[in-house]
Amino acid sequence: MRRLGLHFGLIVVSVVVLLPPLWVLRTSLVPESLSYSTDLLPTVTFKNYASLFASNRFGAYYLNSVVVSLGSVLLALPFAATTGYAFARFCTGGAVARFVVLATQMLPPVAIVLPVFTFFRTVGLTNSVPGLTIAYAALNLPFLIWILMGFFEGIPVDLEWAAMCDGATAWGAFWRIVLPVSLPGIAAAGVLGFILAWNEFLFALVLTGPSTATVPVALAALQTSNGVQIAKVSAGVVLAVLPLVVASRFIQRFIVQGLTFGSVK
Amino acid sequence: MASIELDRVSKAYANGAYGVRDVDLSIADGEFVIFLGPSGCGKSTTLRLIAGLESATSGALKIGGVDVTGVPPRHRNIAVVFQSYALYPHMSVRQNMAFGLKMRRAPAAEIARKVDEAAGLLGLSAYLDRKPAALSGGQRQRVALGRAIVRDPQAFLLDEPLSNLDAQLRAEMRLELIKLHRRLGRTVVHVTHDQVEAMTMGDRIVIMRDGRVIQVGRPLEVYADPADTFVASFLATPPMNLLPGRVEAAGDGVVVHIADTTIAAPSRCVPAYAPWAGRQVIVGLRPEDLHEAPNDPSYRPLELEIVAIEALGVENIVIGQTVGGESREVAARLNRRWSASIGARVTLWIDPQPIHLFDPETTRLIPRPPIG
Repeated sequence: MRRLGLHFGLIVVSVVVLLPPLWVLRTSLVPESLSYSTDLLPTVTFKNYASLFASNRFGAYYLNSVVVSLGSVLLALPFAATTGYAFARFCTGGAVARFVVLATQMLPPVAIVLPVFTFFRTVGLTNSVPGLTIAYAALNLPFLIWILMGFFEGIPVDLEWAAMCDGATAWGAFWRIVLPVSLPGIAAAGVLGFILAWNEFLFALVLTGPSTATVPVALAALQTSNGVQIAKVSAGVVLAVLPLVVASRFIQRFIVQGLTFGSVK
Repeated sequence: MASIELDRVSKAYANGAYGVRDVDLSIADGEFVIFLGPSGCGKSTTLRLIAGLESATSGALKIGGVDVTGVPPRHRNIAVVFQSYALYPHMSVRQNMAFGLKMRRAPAAEIARKVDEAAGLLGLSAYLDRKPAALSGGQRQRVALGRAIVRDPQAFLLDEPLSNLDAQLRAEMRLELIKLHRRLGRTVVHVTHDQVEAMTMGDRIVIMRDGRVIQVGRPLEVYADPADTFVASFLATPPMNLLPGRVEAAGDGVVVHIADTTIAAPSRCVPAYAPWAGRQVIVGLRPEDLHEAPNDPSYRPLELEIVAIEALGVENIVIGQTVGGESREVAARLNRRWSASIGARVTLWIDPQPIHLFDPETTRLIPRPPIG
């Protein structure tokens, strides 16, 4: 009887959690006229998706998001890895440096977006994909440093000592031993950075223009003065979430591996 | 030439604590030296100083007659085997063993030849293409050794390499290491907290405590003449029995009172013990110097109340409480057929020849001539 009650409770909670995203999926697959009806799935159409790409240039914005998110991660990771290693192994800058890195994450985005805009405008980086890439790389860098510092601290220092006794310099030990061994952690950090960049809205809104917007900005633009084009918004949301679902599956495996890393030896 | 000289080497940390303090030691070329001590005594720190993985805050370090202060590990031509083996997990056994030569830009053919040679020596030829995760503990340990041997270093530094092995494998590898040392003839510094390794493997033992060297000497010499009560109790299992006693002059000789018994000091010890007449001392009795029967007229009785008997198969470790005076726990190694019930009172016999006396204030051994 208790198990029945437990299962019933879990089913209710699951429905509460899963219903909204599933309903969004449903709304994206029905004609716009039936968006607000309560029928589960009267007909299935991909017109909303087609219209998104045809009349709203969604394809271009999607590509911008992919380029900016991937680019910012690829730009930030080398800096994050080397800084994280310096913090983990050599305590570079002591507790002060670590705090300063963490402190930048404490600033609300709204407080820094306008100074960043002013600076980017001066150097001509507004309304550009490279500009947004650089901004995201800088925004996510402290977070990535912190994650990678944790992973590097979990790698036994014996490995680097063995490499240095074998003839490697400190840099050689990092490049040949620490980096390959910490690839799962670096991959996990990269995917997290990708997700953060992909979902970011405020900086994209301020720093991009009509041709350089990203998916979150494009979705917001579907809320027009004539009302919310809910069918297209739903289609856009499904497309926006798809890479994150894939990324989350990928990261799940590496997060577990990364978290249990240091405990094995 | 790969002698290692430490000249008043110290390692102090930022908080003022010392890892190693005033270590003065000379290790000859080809010698097998054991660093022995409890956890935190500074033996691994000393090893890392020799390797160059840590730098000394004072003192000088020479390897092969050359001052290596400030020289990084890769230029010291020493090989280290770590307790965790520190095998590169993303490389195969072959790549692990080849890494050192690859760093030194040796030709590929030479690397292959040396790796195959070392693998053959250590029985690893069948495992060369496996990754460390697919090996047993003993195999990983051999790979770590192989990685060191391939480099042909001037000295091997082993940091508790046998600690992670089970008892049987440890005994086997102890013998393998001894044979390897005889074959290669290189200087070996071996760090351990295991007394059996210390007694059986080294040409000399260095006993350390709290960052300092307490005693250096051949294993049997240190065993026979421990510098103080710490060395005496550390270098044996069960540890040496340490009992309060009192020295008294008796005619031409000297006697020692412990518990309810009186032992006549051996004649060779009389000159050393005579100045202690009337004073308290700490009496050291090794468990193997307590016997079931008086094999010699000089043996003296010691009455004990049995607390426990550990039957090991090869012998019995008997633990009892002394009866007279201040009751103390005493351990004895007796024949495996000897038996008694718990709580029973038995009389064991003390062989006075190997007796040790220690100064109760300094805990240092009162020196006397060795037996025979």
